[in-house]
Amino acid sequence: MATIREKGYSHWDGALEERKFPWWPITRTGIQLAFRRKHFKFFFSVSFLPAVVFLVGIYISERIEDFKFMIKGSENFIKINPAFFKTYFTNDSLLFLMVMLLVFSGAGLIADDLKHNALQLYFSRPIGKKDYFLGKAAVIFFFILALTLVPGLVLFFMKLVFSGNFKLLTGYPWLLPAIIGYSALLTIFFAFYTLLLSALSKNRRYVTILIFAVYIFSDVVYGITFGIFRSPYVALFSLKANFQQAGAVIFGQRLPYAFPGYLSFFVLFGICAVSAAVLHRRIRGVEVIK
Amino acid sequence: MLRTTREVFAFFFFLGKRSRKMKVFFLLSLLPVALAVLVRIAFGGRSSEVTSVFQEILMVYFLQFLIIILALFYGTSVCSEEIEGKTLPYLTTRPLTKGGIIIGKFAAYTALSALMVLVGLAASYLIMSFQKLGEAATYAALLRYAGVLLLGLMAYTAMFTFLGTFLKKSILIGLAFGFGWETAIQYFPGSTQRFSVVHYLKSLLPYYSAGKFSILTFRLEPTSPAVSVLVLLLITAGFLGLACLFFSLKEYMFED
Amino acid sequence: MTAVIETRTLSKWYGNVLGLSDVSLGIEPGITGLLGPNGAGKSTFMKLLTGQLKPNIGSVSIFGRRIWNDFETFAKIGFCPESDAFYEEISGWEFLTGLLSFHGFSKAEVRARAEKTLDIVGLTGDKDRKIRGYSRGMRQRIKFAQAIGHDPEIIILDEPLSGLDPLGKRKLIHLIKDYRDQGRTILVSSHVLPEIEAMTSRIILIHQGKILAQGDIHYVRDLIEAHPHVISIKCGDPRGLAAKFVNEPYVLKIHFGPDGDSLVVETHKRDAFFGRLNQVVLESALRVEEITSPDDNLQAVFDYLVGK
Repeated sequence: MATIREKGYSHWDGALEERKFPWWPITRTGIQLAFRRKHFKFFFSVSFLPAVVFLVGIYISERIEDFKFMIKGSENFIKINPAFFKTYFTNDSLLFLMVMLLVFSGAGLIADDLKHNALQLYFSRPIGKKDYFLGKAAVIFFFILALTLVPGLVLFFMKLVFSGNFKLLTGYPWLLPAIIGYSALLTIFFAFYTLLLSALSKNRRYVTILIFAVYIFSDVVYGITFGIFRSPYVALFSLKANFQQAGAVIFGQRLPYAFPGYLSFFVLFGICAVSAAVLHRRIRGVEVIK
Repeated sequence: MLRTTREVFAFFFFLGKRSRKMKVFFLLSLLPVALAVLVRIAFGGRSSEVTSVFQEILMVYFLQFLIIILALFYGTSVCSEEIEGKTLPYLTTRPLTKGGIIIGKFAAYTALSALMVLVGLAASYLIMSFQKLGEAATYAALLRYAGVLLLGLMAYTAMFTFLGTFLKKSILIGLAFGFGWETAIQYFPGSTQRFSVVHYLKSLLPYYSAGKFSILTFRLEPTSPAVSVLVLLLITAGFLGLACLFFSLKEYMFED
Repeated sequence: MTAVIETRTLSKWYGNVLGLSDVSLGIEPGITGLLGPNGAGKSTFMKLLTGQLKPNIGSVSIFGRRIWNDFETFAKIGFCPESDAFYEEISGWEFLTGLLSFHGFSKAEVRARAEKTLDIVGLTGDKDRKIRGYSRGMRQRIKFAQAIGHDPEIIILDEPLSGLDPLGKRKLIHLIKDYRDQGRTILVSSHVLPEIEAMTSRIILIHQGKILAQGDIHYVRDLIEAHPHVISIKCGDPRGLAAKFVNEPYVLKIHFGPDGDSLVVETHKRDAFFGRLNQVVLESALRVEEITSPDDNLQAVFDYLVGK
């Protein structure tokens, strides 16, 4: 029996294949949208400044003989060791730039979906909540790893290249895992942090303020409570202090605050756990409005 | 203009009271109250230490964090929320002057922020000054702190209102100004400090004394109170006027 | 009748993109339909009329006054925007009374107007629900309510029937016609032609920022000489009738309907054709069951003008 098909829709007789990484289109779109925002490319480039400064430091450390006449006590100047890497990863400017990058790239990740009722569009496709979160989180992973792991590995690699030997590797065999581990810690934390705040409101402007304000607020509260109570434990209120404490633990350095380092990990992972719980509740395919 | 301002104020004050964000900001403004209770427990009857803790620490929170955050959010909201929410036509196709819309919304949001801040201020200060509640000087100082924060709120909110009418990315510029410029410029010597709002606010604080170390007034070269009040009012009026002007002249297009 | 809304060489650019080009027209009291496909410039035109955009060239006047920044004139204008945007955290009642208060009415008058308007749009029972809980149709109705609550003389409606069910559409069309009967000026935009046809025969056709035609739909049709009129006649003897017209110079084409009891005539002189048809029917006592003009409608006019 002959059939006449109208132009346009015809039934697909082939087999439907499931994508291996269902979350990938979400990540790809998130990254593309971030780069489309005005001035983002400029700001992203500026974020690499701390890495460039530290790279120059590594170069100077290898060419210290040439700079000896300029610098007194140059033998002790710029020693490339785990402390150097810890200084890079925990310096205030890098953390601040990361927060600003999150504002640009992460504020609207979930907030815009809530505003435009796009969650139903996502969950009417063959992706689950896990894929949705992973896709969104991977956008943050991309940008934070670009500022942490990538420069960290580049600095490590360039030190080996400039020095012409493997002393750094043999002298500190745990340094490379430390770079990877600390980068992973920052990345995972900031992903949960950003997604939590982005899920709290449909208003991107409000989320922008929240991302920045919560970070600053934690420091302000630490400052105030330290001024009142003079206890080192109040540093647990500050996200920055917790990063610095965790960084010191991971890079095997002296702890900047007089409390056990594992407490900082508890705080950071505790925030991640709270974030996961709130996200699970907040992100739904269907919303019942009373 | 007056009628517009009045009607717009009433509507947006009501709307602002209802919003969920107000509850979050209100909690933020109550943090000093919790801290004040902790301080009282920690310091007991040592009232002079308590007074200095209030100015040095809690006022830092109010002056260099809370009023900036509130002004940033509410100031930029005056114009930006109407554009982002596409509700601007409901206002601009009514017999309302454009300047009146800006001033009315500014007044409503400043009133809301002021309420939140003043409740937190009054509660925390009175808890801290529990033993001096019978003294007139206590209330005089409270009024002065309240005045400082109110003037600061008005000046910052006017500034951010102007940014919101003028720029698309007003939040980022506002953050850079509020937490970057305002913080950094205080450490500059001489007259450079006068290019910040916070300088004039700190010049009005009740317990400044030159030579004595203080976190809040570190490196402060104060301006006289009368001039400080005048400058703050001029900043408020000036930026508000600019905001009204830009809002009247500019056309706003919604992103589809 | 004098035009209430007048535009003179009105043009608007968005950067290099032309939004509206050289629009000069007058809109009189009654219902005027503004028609065009998506992106034609309808919303741009309405935004220029309501003072949300400033013309690059030309002017817009309402009641003889330039509308840009003329807030007093807005007391006489009601605008229903296209976008589905509200202050979501308040109820329909609070939304409507809030916007009515902007007109300077007393509290009692605001209440009375709000109650009356909500009754008109059928939202009295849902007035205390938050707008974020409203259905699409309810949102459209509250949007319409805020446009009419203050009894404006001019009502500008941008896609007012969008999102309404058929009953809702019928009710709203009926309401718009009531306002027309009260002597108000109503401008309605849509890209759904039958909706406009149900309301009015006075149209403005817009395409790619330019006005293609303006006026009564039938007169506009007559002006389109390039496309002959198509007239379908159902009768007892279609071939006999065809024989009477085959020698007429203004008949361009005759063909017969598939059912065998109708004939379709193409002519570029409709009046002459109908004059002759009356004569023929009377002379031959022909039984005519139905006469229709399949292309004397908005869709056909639009298609011809746009060049489809």
